[in-house]
Amino acid sequence: MDTVTTRIDNIVDEFADLDSREKLELLIDFSNRLPPLPEAYQALKAENEGRVHECQTPVYLWPELDQDGMRLVAEVAEEAPTVKGFVSMLAEAVAGRPQAEAADLPDDFLERIGLDAVLGMLRSRGLQAITHRVRRELTVIP
Amino acid sequence: MAEYADPDVLVSTDWVAEHQNDPSVRIVESNEDRALYIQGHIPGAVEIDWLIDLQDQNVRDYVDRVGFEKICRDNGISNDTTVVFYGDQNNWWACYAFWVFKLYGHERCKIMNGGRKKWQLDGRAWSTDRVSYPAATYTAPEQDKSVRALRDEVLKHQKAGKALIDVRSPEEYRGERLHMPEYPNEGAVRGGHIPGAVNIPWPLSVNEDGTFKSAKDLEKLYCKTNHLKRRSPTIAYCRIGERSSLTWFVLKYLLGFGNVRNYDGSWLEWGNSVGVPIVKGPEPTAASAAPGA
Repeated sequence: MDTVTTRIDNIVDEFADLDSREKLELLIDFSNRLPPLPEAYQALKAENEGRVHECQTPVYLWPELDQDGMRLVAEVAEEAPTVKGFVSMLAEAVAGRPQAEAADLPDDFLERIGLDAVLGMLRSRGLQAITHRVRRELTVIP
Repeated sequence: MAEYADPDVLVSTDWVAEHQNDPSVRIVESNEDRALYIQGHIPGAVEIDWLIDLQDQNVRDYVDRVGFEKICRDNGISNDTTVVFYGDQNNWWACYAFWVFKLYGHERCKIMNGGRKKWQLDGRAWSTDRVSYPAATYTAPEQDKSVRALRDEVLKHQKAGKALIDVRSPEEYRGERLHMPEYPNEGAVRGGHIPGAVNIPWPLSVNEDGTFKSAKDLEKLYCKTNHLKRRSPTIAYCRIGERSSLTWFVLKYLLGFGNVRNYDGSWLEWGNSVGVPIVKGPEPTAASAAPGA
C-alpha cells in the first residue's frame, strides 16, 4: 500500500542503523533529489512569496493541490543541505497523495530517523516548524 | 586607524591553503548546517559542532573544563596548536567556536577571513575524506570570565547605563518579529531589546564575500556613528549568542576594545526572564524612562 504514512515509514527504514555521518550523507542524497524550482514560480519567489521567514537561510515553500493530489514545490539555498534534504523528504512523502493524508505527516519524523540527536534541539525545532507549516497549509487548501 | 588592532588573528584562504599540512596547525570547521562538512570541507579540517560538541544540554551551558579537554585531545589539538576556525554563514559559528576556545584560554586561535564562502569563491577544492588525528594531550584552565557575560552581570551593566550592542535585525530589536503563531522558533516570550542597547546588526561588519570590513569602515560604524568607546566596558548580544560572537570578535580583535564580553544567554534568556526590563520600538531607551533607569 502506498500512502503518506508508508512512505514516511520507508524513509525511516532507510535511516535505521546508519551512524551520524551516514545519516547526513543520506540527507544530502535527498537534498540532491529536490527538483529545481519550476520557471512559473520564479516570479513569485522574486516577490518573496512563499518565503519561510523563520529560517535564516532562504527557504521557499508552496504546498499545493492539483488533480493528481498534493505536491510540495520548494526551493532551498544550496548552502543549507540539511533543510533542503528534509524538505525533499516531505515533498517525496506527499507527492500525488490525497489531501486527507496531509494530517499523517508526523511530528516525530526527525526523532524517528534519528536526526534530532545529530542536529541538536535548536536545529531540530526549525525543521519541525517546516513540517507544521507544510501540514497545516496542505490541510487548509479549499 | 588603518590596520586591524590584532591583524595576526585573521588569516586568509591563501594562508590556510599553505598550512593544510602543517602539524602545528589544526583547521576547524564549525557550521550552522552540519551536512556542509560532510558535503565537503577544507582538506585536513576537523568538525567541531557548536551545539553537539561544545554545549552540554544537561546543564544548558558549555561543556565543562574536562569536556573541553576531551574535544581538543580527540581532534589532535594540544595547548600550543594554532587553531584556525572557519564555517558557513559568514563565520558566525566559527567565531562562536573561537569564543568558546578563548573561554577556556586557548592561546593560538585564528579565523579564516571569509569562511566557506570565500574558499568557494576562490574556486578551491573541497574534500570528503574522513579526517582523524592521533590523540593529543591538553590541559585547560577554568573558564576565563572576562569574555563571557551572565544574565545578572548584564542586568547590573544595563542598570549602570553601560554600553550594550544588540546585533540582531532591526525587526527583532524593535520587538516586531519573534515568531509567528504556530511557527515555533527558539521561543522567547517577549519581543524587544535590553534597555539602553544600540542596534548594530551584525551584517554591517562583513563584506559581500564574507570577509570582514576594513578597519576604517568598522571604526566608522562602531566608534563614530554609534559612539562606542574602546575603553568602555561593552557587552554584545543577539538571540542565542552566535551572531554576537562575531561582533565580539570584531570589537576585541579588529578594533581593539579592551573590555568586551559576549552575552551568550542573549535574547532567548533575557526575553524569557522574570523581573528584567525590556524596551520595544526603535529607540534604545523607553521615551518615559531616563537613560540607564
